Amino acid sequence: MLTADLVRPRVRSRGSELSVQMLDTHDSFWLQTAQDLIALLQQHQGQSLAAWHDLLEAYEGDRVDYLVVRGLAKVLSDAATFTPLTTPLIPSQLRERLFAYGPVFAAPQHLFERQARYEVIQQEATELSLLPEQLETTLFADRPATYTLTDVGPAWTPEGLLARYNLELARGVLYWASQVQIEVHSNYKDLWKYLKFFKLMFWARTHNDGYLIDLDGPISPFVSATTRYGRQFAAFLPALMLCDQWRMAATVHPPQLQPGVYRLDHSLPLVSHFKRSGPFDSRLEANFAQEFEEKFGGERGQWLLSREDEVLLLGETVMIPDFALTHKRSGHRILIELVGFWHPDYLRRKVEKVRAAQCQHLLLLVYEGVNLSADALQDVPGEVLYFKHKPVLQDVMAAVKAIDARVYGPPVKKSRKRNADDPAPKKSRKRSVDDPAPKKSRSKKKQEN
Amino acid sequence: MSKSVYFQGGTLVLRDVGEEEQPPAPFRLIRERWRCEGYHYGPLLPELREQSIRDTVPRWQTLDLKLQEKREPHDYQVAALAAWDQADRRGSIVLPTGAGKTFIALQAIHHTKRSTVVIAPTIDLLHQWYARLVNAFATEVGVYYGGEKKVLPLTVTTYHSAGDLMADYGNTFKLIIFDEVHHLPAPSWGEAALMAPAPMRLGLTATYPEPHEQTNGRWSLDDLIGPIVYTKRIEDLVGQQLAHYRTQRLRVDLTPTERTQYDADHAIYIDFVRSQRLPQRYGPGWLMELMRLSALDPQARRAMLARQRLVRMLGGCEGKLAALEGLLHEYGDQQILIFTEQNAVVYDIARRYLVPAITHETHAAERKQILEGFQARRYRAIVTSRVLNEGVDVPEAKVAIVLGGTAGAREYVQRLGRVLRKVENKQAVLIEIIARKTLDEGKAQRRRPQESKTTSTDDGGKE
Repeated sequence: MLTADLVRPRVRSRGSELSVQMLDTHDSFWLQTAQDLIALLQQHQGQSLAAWHDLLEAYEGDRVDYLVVRGLAKVLSDAATFTPLTTPLIPSQLRERLFAYGPVFAAPQHLFERQARYEVIQQEATELSLLPEQLETTLFADRPATYTLTDVGPAWTPEGLLARYNLELARGVLYWASQVQIEVHSNYKDLWKYLKFFKLMFWARTHNDGYLIDLDGPISPFVSATTRYGRQFAAFLPALMLCDQWRMAATVHPPQLQPGVYRLDHSLPLVSHFKRSGPFDSRLEANFAQEFEEKFGGERGQWLLSREDEVLLLGETVMIPDFALTHKRSGHRILIELVGFWHPDYLRRKVEKVRAAQCQHLLLLVYEGVNLSADALQDVPGEVLYFKHKPVLQDVMAAVKAIDARVYGPPVKKSRKRNADDPAPKKSRKRSVDDPAPKKSRSKKKQEN
Repeated sequence: MSKSVYFQGGTLVLRDVGEEEQPPAPFRLIRERWRCEGYHYGPLLPELREQSIRDTVPRWQTLDLKLQEKREPHDYQVAALAAWDQADRRGSIVLPTGAGKTFIALQAIHHTKRSTVVIAPTIDLLHQWYARLVNAFATEVGVYYGGEKKVLPLTVTTYHSAGDLMADYGNTFKLIIFDEVHHLPAPSWGEAALMAPAPMRLGLTATYPEPHEQTNGRWSLDDLIGPIVYTKRIEDLVGQQLAHYRTQRLRVDLTPTERTQYDADHAIYIDFVRSQRLPQRYGPGWLMELMRLSALDPQARRAMLARQRLVRMLGGCEGKLAALEGLLHEYGDQQILIFTEQNAVVYDIARRYLVPAITHETHAAERKQILEGFQARRYRAIVTSRVLNEGVDVPEAKVAIVLGGTAGAREYVQRLGRVLRKVENKQAVLIEIIARKTLDEGKAQRRRPQESKTTSTDDGGKE
């Protein structure tokens, strides 16, 4: 990520709106600059970090756009690797030995009975069975300035470098953000994972077929302009760009500027460098999906299987069941969660979430081998089905039908939208393990409207 | 269901307390949870008990600490500590720099024997606290800042990193010591104090803020730390603790080549500054304005670069280095501190004269080793680019040599003067080397120490 001093001068304020000056990735001038820097770095292989800084300073010359040059160079060097030299002994140990002689001078100092510098070096080199030159190179070899470039990082194209710089600028604006609101409409599966990964506190509710999510931290309500979580927002931002349709509005307090709102959305040509996760988290899930398609899928099947297409909002956390079955005619929805070979802690949290979700139309498929007693699942609102090696699809479909009848009653024609309208009655609060405070499922309807 | 309170990210949160209930006042219902800032913890305890809300906040420990330092505290140190004890171990002690605030803090930690975190303004001071705590208690001490993050029952951090530490580990410390507590009203610096549940708090400073500076609209020192519990002014302590020192100014000439380069760069720089009337138009912040302009206006950029070149040159000009060498000869048997703000010059000097260097690159362990080596007189000199700021402990230094000409040098002169301590009644000397007819001189004028009572300036000695 860029340092704040490379971002702040490019932030502009207009009324209550903030923006950051990005580069045109087709502009031939900037493409040339990017190309120059990429070439400079490639030629620099094997040379020191200090020399890289000198080289950059020379390249900058008296250009007034030096902040851009430095920003581009920062993106490059962040992705590259500079490695310390190997030395015959640890530099700090050598320093401890040599500095006990100081201050020494070019000539011996008889008044204080002190040897000349060259005598000290010679004497110590002999004692350590090394050459004087080796002592000289070892002395400060642990300073980052002396590290040498060993890996230039990814194969950058000039356009790619400019685009990445633009993304880093957008992230940089969020360094001073006190809170962020995002709206997502599709392909948001990874979003939730990254929210948790970056330990962001979030508050989600459904909104126009998508979600409205507030991001902040525990102390935010008490320190209204805190920028404590800015770095986390910045780190997270590329995850938002994995969604197809999204919008973001951040309240930002840049130094020396009036606070304002910084907006971003999917129409900008920003490209995430984060990885999208694969369609399945485990073999078990992949096999389940495949078997379903073979046996119950296709034209003649009554149910449509979809992968992680529904998010159960649990206040400050979410649960995303592995599969959803949608009845082709009635539109009824049954959610399926596979509980396979997992660590006991993970299982406990999962069960707590299932409880918190208070979701009647959820089917849990639990591997018998896991240490999860029937007890633990007793008051889970949905159904639980155990399996030995893999779920038996016949049994699964029987259970699905049972749930369908129990939850939705005898077949009638009615259109369902999404689970937020789940007919399950609200029950007493349950406590979850990963977050010990009481939490409620989908109780945000009041707020939504 | 049993009601309880727990700690989360700098806040206290109630568990199993319904929206319709009325928990103690600071709690606010936020997104369906009762929540308040961590610092309310101590005062809230009685009410929580009354409402049968179980306390699951503390994760701090009782420590078996033995104070290795056998030095007897001064009377005023004993009195200060007693006053703090009487105030329920909350509040600030105000003493002049050099009066042994660290020693009082060590005593406070020893008295309370509970998990403690010390918050210092700079990484340099963090390192110093680290060394003092390790030595005082002969125990491992945690360090938490950008470079190193290790949390132990005794931990040292900076104001900059303290917020993160409190968010994750706030409830592991029962006592917080705020070094240079006057920094607390600064917007982001007070957040740690706000977030921490620690009921015991000790603020230390030489300059307690004026009433209007004690609050920033969000928090006041009184709420976060408690009141001033003890004050002693500098006049009361002179002779008892603080050193007298004298300053000398050594003027050197640039070489003809340096002079030519200097004059050329100075012209580029000063012509722009004058033509734009920057100081007149922007006041004390005009250099910031020049920096801003340098990203827009080619002339400003050239002026900025010229300034950079001449500052760099002044920092390591031949005359200064020759004068330095002369002084190293002259004071060869004394403990010497050398200061220059430029890292490159620090490492040049370290390499040329084989003396240890302290810069921002120096890690805690080596730094401690260097300072201890200096104290034990195994090292006769240290060269540093760090403003060993605000009370850094270098009692052994008898001679400080400052390669002048930078803002850092100015700060260094002012600060160091206050911390050179009286050892065996010998007077410390502070020598500033500046280049004649350069920017150095203008700066040196502005920098004349205003120490009045504790210092005497001797300007003429070394012309």
